[in-house]
Amino acid sequence: MTVAFWILAMLLIASAIFVITAQKPVHSVAGLLAHFLFLAITYFMLSAEFLAVIQLIVYSGAILMLFVFVIALLSSGVMPFSAGPDRLPKIAAPAIVVIAVLLGFVAYAVSREPAVTPTLRGIASGPVGTAGVFGSVADFGHALFTLNLLPFEITAFILMVAVVGVILLAGDQVPYVPTRRRARLVERDMREAIVRAGEE
Amino acid sequence: MHENLLPVALGNYVALSSVIFFIGVAGVVLRRNPLIMLMSIELMWNAANLLFLAFARAWLNNAGHIFAFLVITVAAAEAAIGLAIVVLVFRSRANVDVDEIALMKG
Amino acid sequence: MGVAGTYPLLFAIWLVPLAGAIVNWAFGPQLKRAAGVVGCVALGAPFVATLLSWSIATQSSGAVTGAQQHLLSWMPGFDFGLLLDPLSLIWALIITGVGFLIHVYSVGYMWSDTAIARFFAYMNFFVFAMLTLVLSDNFVGLLVGWGLVGLASYFLIGFWFFKPTAVAAARKAFVINVVGDVAIMFAIFLMFAKLGSTSFATVFAHVPALGNWLFLTCLFLFIGAAAKSAQIPLHTWLPDAMEGPTPVSALIHAATMVTAGVYLVARCWPLWSASHDAQLLVGTIGGLTALAGALLGIAQWDIKRILAYSTMSQIGYMIMGVGVTAYQAGVAHFFTHAFFKACLFLGAGIVIHELSDEQDIRRMGGMRSRAPVAFFAMFAAVLAISGFPGFAGFFSKDAVIFGALEHGHPWLYVVGIVTAGITAYYMFRLFFVTFFGTYRGDLDPAQLGVTSPSAPAAHEPAHGETHAPAWLMAAPVAILGVFSVIAGYVMIGANSPWNRLFALTFPAENLPAPALSEGWTTAILFVVMAAGIAIAYLRYATPVALADAPARLRAESQRLPAPLVKLFYFDEVIDWVLVKPSLALGRFFGSIFDPDVIDGAVRGLVRFNTGLGALVRGAQTGLLRSYALVIVFGAALFAVYYALQGAAH
Repeated sequence: MTVAFWILAMLLIASAIFVITAQKPVHSVAGLLAHFLFLAITYFMLSAEFLAVIQLIVYSGAILMLFVFVIALLSSGVMPFSAGPDRLPKIAAPAIVVIAVLLGFVAYAVSREPAVTPTLRGIASGPVGTAGVFGSVADFGHALFTLNLLPFEITAFILMVAVVGVILLAGDQVPYVPTRRRARLVERDMREAIVRAGEE
Repeated sequence: MHENLLPVALGNYVALSSVIFFIGVAGVVLRRNPLIMLMSIELMWNAANLLFLAFARAWLNNAGHIFAFLVITVAAAEAAIGLAIVVLVFRSRANVDVDEIALMKG
Repeated sequence: MGVAGTYPLLFAIWLVPLAGAIVNWAFGPQLKRAAGVVGCVALGAPFVATLLSWSIATQSSGAVTGAQQHLLSWMPGFDFGLLLDPLSLIWALIITGVGFLIHVYSVGYMWSDTAIARFFAYMNFFVFAMLTLVLSDNFVGLLVGWGLVGLASYFLIGFWFFKPTAVAAARKAFVINVVGDVAIMFAIFLMFAKLGSTSFATVFAHVPALGNWLFLTCLFLFIGAAAKSAQIPLHTWLPDAMEGPTPVSALIHAATMVTAGVYLVARCWPLWSASHDAQLLVGTIGGLTALAGALLGIAQWDIKRILAYSTMSQIGYMIMGVGVTAYQAGVAHFFTHAFFKACLFLGAGIVIHELSDEQDIRRMGGMRSRAPVAFFAMFAAVLAISGFPGFAGFFSKDAVIFGALEHGHPWLYVVGIVTAGITAYYMFRLFFVTFFGTYRGDLDPAQLGVTSPSAPAAHEPAHGETHAPAWLMAAPVAILGVFSVIAGYVMIGANSPWNRLFALTFPAENLPAPALSEGWTTAILFVVMAAGIAIAYLRYATPVALADAPARLRAESQRLPAPLVKLFYFDEVIDWVLVKPSLALGRFFGSIFDPDVIDGAVRGLVRFNTGLGALVRGAQTGLLRSYALVIVFGAALFAVYYALQGAAH
């Protein structure tokens, strides 16, 4: 297991660095996909089976596809990403390094703290899906829908707000019109969006 | 399945998470491509998630799982809105260099 | 309360003029000249109603005399009501009666003025305000009326608002009047603080409770009275107020409003009777005003200004009378003065009208044949104001002057007698110069010593369209002339109707007989008056003087003593004492304090914030990535902080 952890750690760091250094966004997406896959494996190793699956489905499946779509949309013909000079203060890169080193120290200090560095404890085994077994889907579901029901519902609300926001932002350009008419146009857009979603 | 004690110390997870997080920070600060900035932000989210799960595992408390779940949800919403903004900016300005978009300059 | 407790007719007396004003205001364009009819009816009706109320107003039951009508209770100590007792009855009768005659006259006088409805609206409003003043049964209501008459006076002085002088005069009158209003307000504060009430009955029943504050209360009340009644030194607005139409001068600045001060002192007689200092103050001011007004009247050429100064002088008599606690005499002089002074003003108005708004008596002359009604009426009135035996003014003036002696003020007695002589002189001067000799208006003004001839009237529309029937102006003057003769006969004898009327109001007094009897006083007065008339006759009306009139008038114009021409420098002193310092203060605040201190503070604040903003603006690069960097840096600081906290444990 130790060996597996170190290999995964190397892979995670390598893929992350690739994400931020790749020249083309598409390459970054590929790197990010790899990063998410390795991360999912790490989650499995941490007994978080449900979240590992979610990681694959939501991140790799949904969010990355979104990135790919947008890249496809923007890259048609022009190369729009660096139009002017780099205006970032010269101090930025050294500052990042300093901060990173600083926080490295902090992380190191924290990891050396006996209270937070127990060797991970063993846990009772059982079939996946059995309630009471740490990390199982049943265990997670039970926690989510009982104790954390309200945060869960709020999450649903946040997602809905995000959907509405995205439609408002990226939907058809609505010219400025008096409020009531504008409201009607927005409503129409939303209806069409819902119909389209239903067709898909 | 997990009957054995895991030999990897928690500090290693913390260190790994920190490294990934800072790779994300470097991506946000150093790159000018808003798409890559968004992806870097995803890296930072995930670094945080990794930490959550590691601690959850260490203390055998699935509150960390719940948190990670919420983080994934919010990250999805954030990515959707961020990408929508990128598309919107691209429509109105024909380029999406974040250094060119400095409307809030005082 | 009161005799009947309620007497609803008072509402009619009080509010009908207001209704007339509202009708004239609202329907002026439709009414045109009918506005005059509305105005007259709105005054005639209250006059009749007041006459009908005579008996109930003079009834006495228990402690209260007169008719009362409760209006409303505001809060404890503030009950508003109307009161018609002998004192307010006399005032209401003069206001509505003389007011009615003046309104009739005004119909003729304002015949060709386009704003006739506005004129009658103001006039009716004034009468309403004046009735509010005299009918109120408490000080607050009195103050309301007090302020409203000032407002109406302002409206009417500035009636011809296209004349800058009229506007300036209106403003001056208003400002000085407001000084008086404020003073009365302080008096009310004092009364309320000390006695907890503002109603006449309560205040007068508890005068001793005022203690040491009594004189101050009287002083404040008298400042108000002096401002309204043109007493020294607050008199300067009255001559200027002659800028208004002549009927206005007759109604407001001769017969009624300016006597409000007399009313106030007479009404507050329990206060004055209790304070010897206040008597001395008010009597002295009144005597001085009488003398000063008479002296200034000598040097005037404008017929209305002469009358204005004579008004000031006569009100000085009244104030002196009520001031020395000869209340009955002071009020009597108000009563007779209302007739003969209104008669004089209206007669002067006829002359002025006849001469197309010429007001300088040097440019008149020979008006006897051109305005016979005015001549005879004014002759009666001039005799009355001079105190010629048998005429109205004789009885009241006699009473006032003798009252001063009776109440132990020999000095004021002498002043009163001297003033009577001067009065006879300048009134006959006016009379002779105006009505005798030949018409001098055709002569070159400079030949008469007129340095600034009046410009042709701007307000007068083309003559010769429709002229008012002559009787409209003549009849009121004639009636007032008749009253100038007979008004005094109600005061003859110790048991006269007048004495019986006021026996209900004012306290009976038992005074030691003065050194000089009333008969001697009459004799002295007659001699002095005759001397005044004789001097005026010798200077202006002998055949020689009449033939030589232009040259004599020119010579007199050039030789007038400077203090008289400059009106005793009152305007200058007020200018130096009050106006100039105020202006200097204003200039200081306007050009130094405001821009440098107040604005400077504001601008300094702005500059400070601008600097601060410029300092912070550097951080607002608009670069998303630099913001991210700052956020990371901040987060790192937090992490380090917590790590150190943890290490400290």
